[in-house]
Amino acid sequence: MNWPFNKSVDLQKQTIHIDNTPLTCEILGSVAQGAPIKLNTEMIELMNQNAESTPANSHILASKRHWLTGDPSQSGTNLCQSFILGHCAGVGTPFPNEIVRGAMMARVKVLSSGCTGSRGIVAEKLVEMLNLGITPVVPSQGSVGAAGDLAPMSYIARTLCGYDGKQYENFSPLRPTDKEALALINGISLSASIAALAVLRAERVFNAALWAAGLTMEVVRAQSQCLDERALRSRRHPEVEEVGVILRSLLADSRRVLDTNKPDAFSIRATPSVMGAIWRTIRFAKEEVERELNGVSDNPLLFDGEWIEAGNFHGASIGLAMDHLATALTQLATLSERRTFRMTHGKLSNNLPSFLVEGTGLNSGFMLAQYTAAALASECKGLAHPASADSIPTVQHHEDHVSMSPIAARKTLQITECLADIIAIELLVGAQALDLRLKEDNHTTPVHLEELHVQIREDVPFWQDDGVLHPAIRSLSVMVRHGLPTLS
Amino acid sequence: MKIQGRQGWITQCKKWSKHKITITKQDVHSGGAIPIHPIILNGENLTLESIEAVALGQCLLELCPLAKEKMLQSYQWVQDVCKTNKPVYGVNTGFGSLARVSIPPSKSSQLSTNLIRSHAAGVGPIADVQTTRTMMLLRANALAKGVSGCRPLLVENLLHLLNVNILPKIPMQGSCGSSGDLAPLAHLGLMLIGDPLGEAMVVEDSGGLTYLDAPTALEKAGIPPLILEAKDGLAITNGAQLSTAIATLNIIEGKRLLLAGELAASMSMEALLGISRAFHPAVHNLRPYLGAKQCAHNIRSLTTGSTLMDSVPEKLQDAYSIRCTPQVLGAVRDMIRFVESQISVEWNSATDNPLILLDVNDASQGDPENKAFSAGMFHGEPIGMAMDSFKIAISELANLSERRQYRLTTGNLSQLLPPGLVGKDRPAIGMIVPQTTAAALVSENKSLAWPASVDSIPTCEDQEDHIAMSTVAARRARDVLRNATKVVAIELMSAAHALSFRLDERPDAQLGIGVSHGVSNVRKCLAESSSPFSTIGEQIEAIAERIQNGDMLDNLPHLLDPSDSCTPDGETL
Repeated sequence: MNWPFNKSVDLQKQTIHIDNTPLTCEILGSVAQGAPIKLNTEMIELMNQNAESTPANSHILASKRHWLTGDPSQSGTNLCQSFILGHCAGVGTPFPNEIVRGAMMARVKVLSSGCTGSRGIVAEKLVEMLNLGITPVVPSQGSVGAAGDLAPMSYIARTLCGYDGKQYENFSPLRPTDKEALALINGISLSASIAALAVLRAERVFNAALWAAGLTMEVVRAQSQCLDERALRSRRHPEVEEVGVILRSLLADSRRVLDTNKPDAFSIRATPSVMGAIWRTIRFAKEEVERELNGVSDNPLLFDGEWIEAGNFHGASIGLAMDHLATALTQLATLSERRTFRMTHGKLSNNLPSFLVEGTGLNSGFMLAQYTAAALASECKGLAHPASADSIPTVQHHEDHVSMSPIAARKTLQITECLADIIAIELLVGAQALDLRLKEDNHTTPVHLEELHVQIREDVPFWQDDGVLHPAIRSLSVMVRHGLPTLS
Repeated sequence: MKIQGRQGWITQCKKWSKHKITITKQDVHSGGAIPIHPIILNGENLTLESIEAVALGQCLLELCPLAKEKMLQSYQWVQDVCKTNKPVYGVNTGFGSLARVSIPPSKSSQLSTNLIRSHAAGVGPIADVQTTRTMMLLRANALAKGVSGCRPLLVENLLHLLNVNILPKIPMQGSCGSSGDLAPLAHLGLMLIGDPLGEAMVVEDSGGLTYLDAPTALEKAGIPPLILEAKDGLAITNGAQLSTAIATLNIIEGKRLLLAGELAASMSMEALLGISRAFHPAVHNLRPYLGAKQCAHNIRSLTTGSTLMDSVPEKLQDAYSIRCTPQVLGAVRDMIRFVESQISVEWNSATDNPLILLDVNDASQGDPENKAFSAGMFHGEPIGMAMDSFKIAISELANLSERRQYRLTTGNLSQLLPPGLVGKDRPAIGMIVPQTTAAALVSENKSLAWPASVDSIPTCEDQEDHIAMSTVAARRARDVLRNATKVVAIELMSAAHALSFRLDERPDAQLGIGVSHGVSNVRKCLAESSSPFSTIGEQIEAIAERIQNGDMLDNLPHLLDPSDSCTPDGETL
């Protein structure tokens, strides 16, 4: 299912300029989903100047990949072609277009740094492909995220350089130099692209989870002390306070939350602490990904006419950030599932009927919604196993420590899919519970939650009797993926 | 199953290294001449071979008349109970923790229908055709045992849909595997009752899929929607058949992968000029794990006649990834055998709740005439734990293969093969990058091998307070298996390539009899699947596909001990 990050048509058409301003996850998301881009001429000049400073007799490929050919003088197009095609060893289901486009965008940004020894034309050609909508088919498996995402980036390079045997209208392939062939693939732009999209999704689903948490607290008649400003401030985590502010505003004037000191269960009472910690992690991951998007992951680099050999292609930063994010999102999954459990549990929900339908027995109501949430949460636990805890020596002892960053990022993306369904289920169940409360107490609902309720009811009806849960979960899951109004 | 003599072995090997039945999909559709008899379902006789044939759409299905009779009797008992006030779970009560609520007989049909509708809460990607067919077959077989209190019509409709290849769309996520794969099976139920919200797919002769809503699909299949009666809802949903379907297909592929793994190991060993003593029967009789003995036997058998093995007299022993192959792949073999023995119990089991046991007289609850036994037969734990074990075993198979592939491409570990296997058929780039691909795949497996069944989350108001997560386990096991298949494909490709270097270097060398077939199978696959613009990745996928369907073992079965039925003394042939 789609997670549109540039919903308005204006945004889709708005040209994004590649210049000295930082590349954000949002911009990458927008380009990934179709926005046109323009490379500013200063950047092109910068790249050309850098390429011109290349020392004579730089047989980069032959010296980097001594196993590539026995003869260093056999440089040039054939060598580039063998090099790129030789790295097209990816397997598995192809990536969705947005991830490939994101990787192309991230690579343009790396090249535009003007220290990779590549001419401006390389970045220009990538931009041309993006603007023409030429998106190579890139298999999703086979990169260890060190020396870059070699295999997947090679598929992009293969199309860019016309090695795929295809002709594209209005597009003439690049004839790369040695270093350009290397510069196209020697970085973790693909991991960065997946990670940036994962962060955007994480933010979106976290925002929906805040809405869901507010709704659940309203319908289970939570005790409001757990949101006490003084208590939350004393925790000294700014995000915990922020969650508190948001939940207090969602529940403002609520006549259902209780001002007692009878403590609720943790999934309700500790919501600010748990969600605050998760929010912090999302922010950390975003910071880390945006550093990566604006840094140069390539090797060797060309400074002042001298090639510098370093390890800038290594994906450790993205791998660690994504594993951390995966764990945080899994906590969000388990927290939401427990709240859904409470709402469906006749004895834990402050007197809502079992499974939230009248006439239970003949009806099973929302019984299975919680099962689905439980199965998905459990799946997240497995997916959260850290990929970057592993490393396997590759390339003849040479690339002997690798990051597994694309695996970490792909799993995080999978978790966001599970999580969107889990939060959709909490919203679905919460909306039903709210209707039941309305019947019982006729209280007014806090204004924002009322708006949310109306929104949900446009897609999913009140369950008088048993209905089919699958389409209802799917509708709200689409709502979560498209984004609820941002709370801050 | 005991198999006597060499011929017996060969037949058995052929059977499960490759299951070729020459029948086209067209035959199934037209009901035309079918070279094999239809499978008669009676709840007792499903085997791995028959399940695979049904999964592939290679045979028709019928319900055994005797089973039909038994089903009718249990159905009649449920009907009779409905006329009394005796509470029977799920017949005249609510479900799960709602068993406390009693339901009048006049509502029993609605109760079943509500169960199907409210339980269809699956999400995520849709199950493929083979998995869906297997799930339906297994559910039909469980009901054919005649202890579920449902009509033969229910099973007949299932079999009809299988025969015409019009299937429900089953979302793969959202099942906890206890009390069965409720959500996935409820989606099957939506189709059977022709619910407008049910979704179905028509499998075309070409293998293509057309999607329809359930009412239209039933019309196309030529059967009326099923009006559910008492207990039908439970009968459709209570059991871990999606988990078992995935598990069963995993076992079929896993066994083929194991043999391909032994072949790849043997090819690498020859290329790396290995030492055969490590596989001597005398050695393995002293630590007599059945799997290790069989693996050592297979390696000896595949490398028979090789002049490359044992050709470096000054070498005393090989690295673990070669020398310990029987210990590692043997343990994998033993694990697959165990897993199959577990899952095979499930194929012919009743998984329903409650069970209607007409011939049991039990007065423990006061009334020996109450034939409804509530138990926990739906619980997916045996499948979940088996699949978690399976994926650990398959991960290890791939780990070992990746390390051999590393040796093949690493100059100072490869007995002087050209570094990276650069040159010759694969100019300029060699096999270094595929080794990186293999490393990425085995690393991914390490996370996927995290056991799903160690988790449990209480559901249903704490009534269903321990659940299996078997569906997640089986799905992850499939992911691990697919990754591992690609890893072995990479080793086969590298080893074939390395062997051609060896033959250049030593023109009069002889390859082992099986290894030589292995090399031709790889070459044949590459020749048939390559186009001028195909990538190494596509070549790896092509080999992987042939591992999956068994083609990679062409001309080899007579050399391989497949099996779960080795003679106890270990000298198998």
